[in-house]
Order: sequence, then structure tokens, then C-alpha cells
Amino acid sequence: MRNLGLIIPLLLAIFGLPAVAVSESIKVREKLAEAAISSEEKQIQILESLIESGDPFIAKVLIAWRRGELFLIEHEGSTIPVLLENADSKEPVKAFALKNGKVLNGKSGKKLTFVPSQQKAAETTRNLRAQIKKTTDLLAILNPNPKLRAEAAFKLGSQGKPEYLTALKNRETVEDNPKVLKKIKEGMAISQLRIGDEKQRIQAAVNLGELRCIASLDSLERIIREQEKLTKGEKNIDLIRETSKAIKIIEVHKDWVNKGQTVFRGINYGAVLLIVSLGLAITFGLMGIINMAHGEMIAVGGYSAYLMQKWMTGFFGPEALQWYFLLAIPFAFLAAATVGLLVERSVIRFLYRRPLESLLATWGVSMILQQCFRLYFGAANVQVNSPDWLIGSVSVGDMSFNYNRLFVIAFAAVIVLGTGLLMSKTSLGLSIRAVMQNRDMAASMGIRTSRIRMVTFAFGSGLAGLAGCFLSQIDNVGPEVGSKYIIDSFMVVVTGGVGNLLGTITAALGIGTADRMLEAWSDSPVVGKVLVLSAIIIFLQARPGGLFAANSRSLD
Amino acid sequence: MSKPQEFILTIENVNKSFEGFKAISDLNFYMDKGELRTIIGPNGAGKSTFLDLITGKIKTDTGKILFGNEDHDLTKLREYQINRLGIARKFQTPSVYEDHTVFDNIMLSLPESRGVFSSIFFRLDSEAKDRITEILKTIRLKDMETVIAGALSHGQKQWLEIGMLLAQQPKLLLVDEPAAGMSDDETKRTGELLLSLEEKHSIIVIEHDMEFVRQIARKVTVLHQGKVIKEGSMDSIQSDPTVAEVYLGRKHSTAA
Amino acid sequence: MQLTASRLLMSHLIALAVFALVTLALVPLIYSSGGIANHDIQRYGKYLCWAALAVSLNLLWGYTGLLCLGQCVFFGLGGYAFGMYLMLNVGVDQVYKTALPDFMDFLGYTELPAHWKPFESFGFAVGAVIWVPGVMALIFGFLAFRSRITGVYFAIMTQALTYVAWILFLRNEFTFGGNNGFTDFKKILGANLYSHPHTSTNGKELLFFILSALLLIVTILLMIALTRTRFGKIQRAIRDSENRVRFSGYCTENFKLFIFTLAAIIAGIAGALWLPQAGGINGDVFLPRESLWVVVWVAVGGRGTIWGPVIGAILISALKSWAQREYENTWIIILGGVFLIIVLFLPGGISSLGKKLLGWIRICRSRTENFITNRKKKVDPNGDGEETLQ
Repeated sequence: MRNLGLIIPLLLAIFGLPAVAVSESIKVREKLAEAAISSEEKQIQILESLIESGDPFIAKVLIAWRRGELFLIEHEGSTIPVLLENADSKEPVKAFALKNGKVLNGKSGKKLTFVPSQQKAAETTRNLRAQIKKTTDLLAILNPNPKLRAEAAFKLGSQGKPEYLTALKNRETVEDNPKVLKKIKEGMAISQLRIGDEKQRIQAAVNLGELRCIASLDSLERIIREQEKLTKGEKNIDLIRETSKAIKIIEVHKDWVNKGQTVFRGINYGAVLLIVSLGLAITFGLMGIINMAHGEMIAVGGYSAYLMQKWMTGFFGPEALQWYFLLAIPFAFLAAATVGLLVERSVIRFLYRRPLESLLATWGVSMILQQCFRLYFGAANVQVNSPDWLIGSVSVGDMSFNYNRLFVIAFAAVIVLGTGLLMSKTSLGLSIRAVMQNRDMAASMGIRTSRIRMVTFAFGSGLAGLAGCFLSQIDNVGPEVGSKYIIDSFMVVVTGGVGNLLGTITAALGIGTADRMLEAWSDSPVVGKVLVLSAIIIFLQARPGGLFAANSRSLD
Repeated sequence: MSKPQEFILTIENVNKSFEGFKAISDLNFYMDKGELRTIIGPNGAGKSTFLDLITGKIKTDTGKILFGNEDHDLTKLREYQINRLGIARKFQTPSVYEDHTVFDNIMLSLPESRGVFSSIFFRLDSEAKDRITEILKTIRLKDMETVIAGALSHGQKQWLEIGMLLAQQPKLLLVDEPAAGMSDDETKRTGELLLSLEEKHSIIVIEHDMEFVRQIARKVTVLHQGKVIKEGSMDSIQSDPTVAEVYLGRKHSTAA
Repeated sequence: MQLTASRLLMSHLIALAVFALVTLALVPLIYSSGGIANHDIQRYGKYLCWAALAVSLNLLWGYTGLLCLGQCVFFGLGGYAFGMYLMLNVGVDQVYKTALPDFMDFLGYTELPAHWKPFESFGFAVGAVIWVPGVMALIFGFLAFRSRITGVYFAIMTQALTYVAWILFLRNEFTFGGNNGFTDFKKILGANLYSHPHTSTNGKELLFFILSALLLIVTILLMIALTRTRFGKIQRAIRDSENRVRFSGYCTENFKLFIFTLAAIIAGIAGALWLPQAGGINGDVFLPRESLWVVVWVAVGGRGTIWGPVIGAILISALKSWAQREYENTWIIILGGVFLIIVLFLPGGISSLGKKLLGWIRICRSRTENFITNRKKKVDPNGDGEETLQ
């Protein structure tokens, strides 16, 4: 069911259906059209009768009505209620008859158009507006989308109206979605807590506790506050006791949910760290180049995503926003790899025997590249949009996981897996490992070491480019998008143990989780960061070679 | 096990492994004061690890290493402390201060003023100068004392490093492959040099070159897979079938 | 071409004497005759402080092989320590009309935090300029050297250190002015810090220039003296072969710790003298790139030489301030390019340029000679001077 929520907007977006969808039931349409031109009394009667149909189209029309966007047009001698294609338009637009959803045609069969602001809108009285609200509220718990239904159920309950409570009770008997059922129960309990008799209220508090309903904390606390104001004789001791108990249970639960969310955010941040440090794990970890230009390779990836977006939307229009990113990924990799290749050939290949000078040279490269970005793209951030399918979230229990965060983790898993496979299963990976471990030996085995190092550096840079492409979805792309992460990346690689992919993964996830947990604990992102960095410094006391340092015999 | 007083070095039940690989296993080794001991063994027998353990470069997993009359436990000391007890080590690849002159190389190895502050206010007196000259003569580098050490030949660097050890006035000299990369003539002279030191110092020499070992050998210890498999005179070693199998046998067949 | 030790010493001392003459006599003379504007002498003074900072890094990197990517931590700490004194002497003539520094009023403080109080004393602040960076270096160095963090690791750990300092000092809660830092200094020991031409108040611009010059002269003297002692030789021996030093009975950790602390103290004093001439300080002094610039000065000037870092610091800073004006957008690219070329082709820095030129001339000459002789002999000219090409 969860997928529907994702697919429907996607389909809508792809086929570009107009907002006014075609209703299945003509009967409903006819009733609505009748209501639009009836008296108030009749209108309320019709609306009341419409509730049980459960058609979400009704709510759509009613909302338009309340907003004054249901128009009454004099056409061929009769008054026809219509919805306009775009009620905000200043230009003449097409009209759809409410009765049958068809476009209004003139005598010659030509489509008629109307300027919205010049048309007469169907009026609403105070009573009607109340009825519209009631109808839409009650319709909401019949909505076919379980997510909206669950939301509506709780909202209905918290309004504390007897007729809503009845509606919820009715729905409870037929609802088969467990998530929605839970929400309905919560809604009923919270409703009873407000409007029930003393006994019902106590039962409601117990129920809310059992349901671990975080959203009811406010209501429960309000009960306690109200009771405290009462004189001793008026106080309901049982209610206070049960409410306090429920609050305690819910708070423990809330604490766990928060912890879970923190861990998730930690893993998510760890995945970000992993993505940004993976390239460095290759160029620094494997090749021993203190690559200060790593951040600029990330920026190359970020700007690649931006360029791809610009070109694709320029060519295919705004729909390209939904898919340009899939093209941006390989493009970012190739662009950064190319820059890496050039840097390796022009600078780094002279410095393999001078690691500390590779730091200086790559910093020079980083300065130059950063300024080039500034000159070409401007010092300000550029706008890179996310496709719609990365917006939104999925919830498990009381925890919700954003799609783009889940995407981060999946992305990290894919590129780590890919890199791991490349290193361990291909002959290129074998050559790379051979050259990095003992260049002279590899050379005498017939491996072209110079070429291998060139490819390795380009590959590491390409990974940095992927990181940048991906960062463009969660961060702003600017000249310094990558250099922000450079120290974090170095810390990850050093903590993991230089030249060890598994160490990099562990370190990234460990540092990410620790960072977010300390941040949650200390309530300050800075304290969290400082503590993590201090912890790393102290950790390196115990294991100067990092987590997975090779403990080998050295030759002297 | 009790230890008679005359041992300068006592190694008992020492173990050391790297990532599961046992480099030294249950090693026992005793050495008399004033002895010149040669240690041989095939590649990977744990010879260099053996020296690393004595000098504190790596720490033992288990076992004890005792030094001198006072029974200093070397496993608990750091490299410089072990050196200050009188254990000097020559590395396999010559390790000299390439940026300093030959004279300074020896001067820096003198045992006085090795603290941070005393080294700032250290002044070279004539007695120390004489000592340096003496050593330079012994290692035949007197004419080259103002030359930067980096400019020396490989053999000269080996000699310079031996000179640096001598300057430290050690009780025990650990010499790792002194003949490596030397010409035959140089090798022979190195052997003579070591023999001339025999009385004043205790010396452990690790060597591959069998010609050289024959020249200097008194008592020989054979290491194999981190264990002592045989100890005795060169003749008894050469006639031993186990040794021949693990080491000399192969060596003989290739040499022949 | 080998200079003997005593001739080298003489040339260093002569250079130092010339330098002292220029900075302590010539510049003050021109300044008092109105030939140098106040902001210019402040700029020169800043260059001298940066030169001292570069020398302190050279002590670490050039002579001991410890590349510190966080030397500005100590520079900044010295600056902040002295800045606390200056902030408390701004007086009440400010926006909030209290004796507290403005940023504290802004953050709602009603009285001075306890750790600020001792800085009302000039003596304490001057002491803190020395011991705060010193203790910081002592603690960090102790931890780093004890676990044998060297080379690349040391570089990265020191970079992390400056990063931590940066994020801390940018926070308001850290009580050091956050983003705005310290600025608007007015008085020192009751005297006016800066000249005001229209009110004809005399400031202390020249004094701070002279103090900066003195700091640099003393630091260089210290370098010259130190490199000649057994200590200085051990330092270079650690750089080239630390194991050999260790196995010669030296506790190299202690040596490195001493040098690291000494370098931190020099950097701290440089930072303190720099502050009044710069007019303000904020957390950005701890940005990792600031410390990288110091590395650039030393690398460009020539590490492991007495004068290289001084030349590098002054030259690059002057070049930077000129290029920033002339080529607003491309100066960083130009500077980065120059820097790259030096790292790639002149690893010894500008100081080695003379030697290198001589070497090239000799190679060219021997090549032409070889070429001529080879021509005469009609022999395949293989292997002539190849090894000097690299």
C-alpha cells in the first residue's frame, strides 16, 4: 500500500493530468451540481447524504467551493456549476461542468473559455461552511489513501466533537488497515479524554498509554494541569493516577523513538561521511597522496549535477528535473575523473616519493580550482533541485525516515560495494593493490605502474565526483561544498586505518553515529563535533595506525 | 630457572606473533659476558625480530629478557632506556645521519648529554675529541671526518655506523648483517674489526654470508621458525643433520 | 662551494645585523620624519610577526621534520590572550556604556566571567601569551608523540586541532566574541594604542613595529645558536633518521615535545604582537587554510634554512597584498600557480635558487664540453650528466 503513495503522484506528474480528475461516479457529480444551485437547507441535506459515499472527489469540490472557486456560469439559458481549469489565471481558461466533468462547448462545438475573476462564484453561508467542514472532515477518514486516512482519524479525534467520535466508532468496525486502526483508536481515546464522562476519561488515559500515543502527550498533560487547579474534593484521583502513568509510559516510548531517530540520523550522517571519504580512501589511503584537492573533486561532482540539470531542463523543459539526476551520476564521475587525470599527469606524478610535498602541491591545485569555480559559477551557491521522488518519507511506528536519507544510505552501499568488488574481483583491482603495496616489485612483474597510478587517482577523483553529485541533493553546491568535508574525510580515513576499505566504512559509520548521538546528548552540534574529534585524537593514542592497522614486521 | 651471574643476556620463554604468524615462539637464549655470538638462520627465521625484541623496538607477547648483572628487564623499558643500559644496535640497512659530517655522526653518538637541556649546553672537550679521533681511526674514516655522511659509499656507511656504536661505549653490541653489500676485502676487514672488539664487548652478530660467519664464528646459534634449533661451534653446526636440512643443506647445494 | 661552518655563521650574523639596522634604525627614522604612514608601518609590523610565525614552523618542519598544519592555533591563542587584556581596556565609551566588552553586553552578561578577570592585569596577560600556547602544545604534543604519531598523521591531527579551535571560537558561548571576535582596541597601559591624525594623538604603532622586529631578531638569533649546538644537530638527526637517534640513547619524544612547545611559544608571542597591528582577531584565524599559508611561506622560502621562512613570509604576504589589489579575481590562481611551480621544481624553495642556478650553469657548461669532446671522438654521447637532470 505504501508504494501507492509514491506511484500515484509520479503517474500524475508523468502524464500531466489536470488537477480536476474525472470522477468515477456521475451520481456524486450530479448531486454536487444540484447542491451548488439549491437552497441552504437542501445543500446541507445533500452534503450530509454525500458523506457515506467516501469519494475523495467530493472533498476536492467542496474545498474549491469554500474558497470561492466553484463558478456558476449562465450557459444556454441555464445556470451551470463549473470548475475552471485554473482558478488563479488572469487569462481565459476552459471550464468543466461539475455535472459530468465535460468541457463546456459553444454552439459551434468550440470550447468556451472564461476569465475566472469575471465569473460568479457559488456562494457559501455560515451554516453551509460549517457543513462543508464537517463533510470534508468526515470524508477524510474514508479516503482510500491510508496515510491520509490515518492522519484524518487522529485530527478528527482531537477536535473532541461527539458526532466525530461516532464517525470514528463506525469506521473502527470496518477499517482493516492496522496502522489506520491504531490512529482511529488514538483519535477515539483522545476524543473521549476531552468529552467523555469520568469513567470514560480514565479508560481513555489508560488506552492512550497502551497505544504509546506521542501526539496525546499535550492533552494528557493538560488534564494534569486542570486537575491541579481543582480543590481537593473535586479532584479525580483515579484520573490523575492513570494519566500520570500514561504520560510516563509515553515518555519512555518517546525517548526510545528519539534514540532510534538519532541512530538513524547518525547512520545517515555516517553514510554521507563514507561517501565523501571513499575517494580519499583511494587517493590518500591507498596511494599515500595527502590529497588536499579532494574537496574540489567533490565540488566538480556537485557542479556537474548542476550543469546536467541546466542542460537537460534547457532542452527538455522542467520535466527533466525528474530524471536528469540519473544522467548526472555518470557525468559527475567522468568529469571528476578527468580533472583527476589531468592533475595526476601534471602535478602528482612528480611527487610519489615526496608525500608531504604532495600535500602542498594538491593544496595549490585546490586553491586554483576553487577560484576557477568562483570565476565561472560565481561565489554564491547554485540551485540544484531534487526530483520529487526524493521528497517525502516513510514511517515505521512512530519513526519516520526521509526518502532522501534512505537514498543516502543506499547510495553509499552501492558505491562501497562497487568499489569493493572492483578492488577485489577485477584484474585492475589486483594491479592497483600490487602497485600500491610494492611499486618496484609490481613494475618488475610487468605491470605498467605509471598508468595504474594514473587510473587509480582518476578513479579516486571520480568517486569524489560521485560524492559531490550526491551532496548536491542534500547540501548547497558552491565553491566550498567539498572543502567543508575535507577534514572529516581525513579523520575518517585515518581513524579507519590507511589503506583499508573496511576500516573506512567502520570509521565513517562510527564517527557519524557518535557525532549525532553526542549532538543529541549535548544539545549542541559544536560540542558534539569537538567531542568526536577529541575522542579520535585519544583513540589514536591507543591505536596509532587506526582501527584496522596492519600489524606487520617492518624492515630496517 | 635460576640464572648464573655471568650471563649478560638471558632470554626465557619469549613469544611474539604478528597477525597470527608466530615470528618468535618459546625462545630461550643465554649469552656469556664477553662472548662473540653469531646467529644464523634461513630467511624469516626471526633473526631481525629477535633484535627488535632485545632493543625494545617491539614488545614481547610473553616471556622475559634480562640484561647485565642487575637483571634489568628489557621488556619493560623503552628503546632509549635500553640503549642507555649499554646495548647498541646496528641496523640491517646502514642508518647514519646523512645530513651531518662523519665527525658529527660520531660526536652525536657519545653517551654524554643525551637529555634535552644538557644537549643544548653540551661542549666538546679535548678528551671527547680524542675519543672521536680514536674511533675514526679504528673505522678508517679519519681522513673523511668533514665529509657529509650521505656522500659515503655503502661500505663506509656500514663502518661509520659501527663507529657510532663504539662511541656509545656499549656492553653489548647487536650487529645486523654487517657484511651486506660489502666487497670481499671490506668484508674481511669488518670481520677483523669485530674480532678485535671481542674482548672488551659482548657481541651478537646476525649474518647470512657463510664465508664471513666462518671467519668470525666462535659459538653459533641457529634460529629456525622463531626457535633455537642448535647451538655450538661452527664445526658441530656444520655437521648437524637438522641444521643442514633447514639451512646449510640448501645453502651448500646452491653454493656448490 | 662548500662554506665552512664559521663562514656560514659570519654570513648569517652579518645578514642579521643588516636586518636589525634596517628595522631598528632606518625604518623608525623614516617613520618619524613622516616618510611612512601609520597603516603602512602596521602592515610591515604584521609581516614581521608572520615571519616569526614562519620561523617557528620552520623550527618544527624544516629542522625536525614535524609538519604542523595548525601553527596558527598557537598564534591565535597568543593573540586572544593579549586581546583579552586589550578588550578590558577599551573603557566605557561604547554602545552599552558598561566596562564590559561590547559582545558580552550584547549576550546579556552583567559581570565579567571568572576566567576573564585575571586579564585585567597586563602582567598576567603577557604571561598568558606565553603559557597558554605553551601548555596547549605541551598537552597535544605529549599525547601525539607518546603514541608516535608522526609524518602524515601528525600533519592531519594538527589540522584537526585547528579545526576544533575554529568551531569553538566561532561560538558565542565560548565567551571570546564568537563571530566578531575582538576589535576596537583603544588603550594599552593607559596610553593610546593608535594615532588619530585630526586630534594629533600619538599612538604606539612604531613601538609595536620595533617589538615585532625584536621578536624576529631574537628568534633568528636563537635559530642560529640552536642549530650549532648538539641539540640542533640531534633535531636534524631526528628528521633524517629518528630510529637511529632513539637507538643512540636519546628520548626523541622529549626532544620533539620541547621543540613543539618552543615553536608554540614563539608563535604565541608573534600572535600577541600581531594583534594590535592588525586591529582585531576572530575565530577565522583558526581556519585550517590560515595555517596552510604558513606552510606555504616556509616551503616557498626554503625549509630548513635560517632565512628562508622570513623571505617566504614577507615575500608572499607582500605579493598577496599587491596581487589582491591588482588582480582581484585571478590573484589566487596566479599565487597558486607560482606555488605549484616552486613545490614541483624548486623543492628547496627560493633560498636554494642560487645554488640551483649555479648547478644548472655547471651542468650546461659540462654538457657543452661533453658535447664538443664527444663530437671530436664521434662516440655515442650516452650518460653525460644524466643524474643531475632530476
